[in-house]
Amino acid sequence: MSDQTYLTAAYICMIGALALWTWTVFARSKSLQEKIDSLEKAMSVDDSTSEGEEENE
Amino acid sequence: MNIRGEVVAIIGFAGAALTLLLGMMWAPSVSINAFKAPEAQRIFYWHVPSAWAAMIAFSMLFVGSIYWFFKRSDWAWRLHVASSEAGLATGLMCITSGCIWGAAEWGVPWDWTDVRLNTFALLTLLSLYLVLGRRSQPDGVETRDTFAAFGMYGFVLVPVTYIATRLWQIRHPGPVVATSEGSLNSEMGLVLFIGAISFTVLTIGYVMAGMRLTKLEMRLEDLQRQYEERLR
Repeated sequence: MSDQTYLTAAYICMIGALALWTWTVFARSKSLQEKIDSLEKAMSVDDSTSEGEEENE
Repeated sequence: MNIRGEVVAIIGFAGAALTLLLGMMWAPSVSINAFKAPEAQRIFYWHVPSAWAAMIAFSMLFVGSIYWFFKRSDWAWRLHVASSEAGLATGLMCITSGCIWGAAEWGVPWDWTDVRLNTFALLTLLSLYLVLGRRSQPDGVETRDTFAAFGMYGFVLVPVTYIATRLWQIRHPGPVVATSEGSLNSEMGLVLFIGAISFTVLTIGYVMAGMRLTKLEMRLEDLQRQYEERLR
């Protein structure tokens, strides 16, 4: 393999690895935010249901 | 104004990609008499900035660890977690690029007798241990204390790594910037400078995003605990 090809291949692999790492930061953030939102929603639904039940009693 | 770490990381990443392009297309070649693989030497525009960024991340790790140890601040713990991850990413980048260059120039990717190579590898292994360890252990004051102690004492490898080529120049090349020899020409210096700035911004972005991620993880754990208590 020529020097230039070797360097190009190495650079592509490294920038790809760095892009993947950056992407995982985005993906983890998005996934955590979604879990928090759904849990908060579930808890607020529970709250309103129990309040409604108390009023009916 | 609330700047997201992810945005800062993207700016740093774009700068790193620009460095790569300039290093390959614009920066002048080195003398073929000085190097066995002169084209592979261009990896230096990526290798040196990533090493610099790793040192910044390891310094942040030290600050986070020491501040957690003495102040028990959640902010410090989040800094510890985020900078160990940033140190791992940039450290691996530095080691990978170094191995690629070593294979082309020396004929072997690694030299076990070279002090700088080994102390830097130990630093990266330390950050790997901190990242994997934190994921496998339950969070608590004792766990945090243990990891913070490793973050504090591991920092001793940073100055050793920095001065290693000055004290024991075995195989790794000596310093090329901030020395009396001044062996870099202006174009090479400019590309290296752009690389250093880009990798610094990338590391800051990773640390900011990592601190936010840890905050989200803590919030999620807290919500899950509350939810489970309600179900009982």
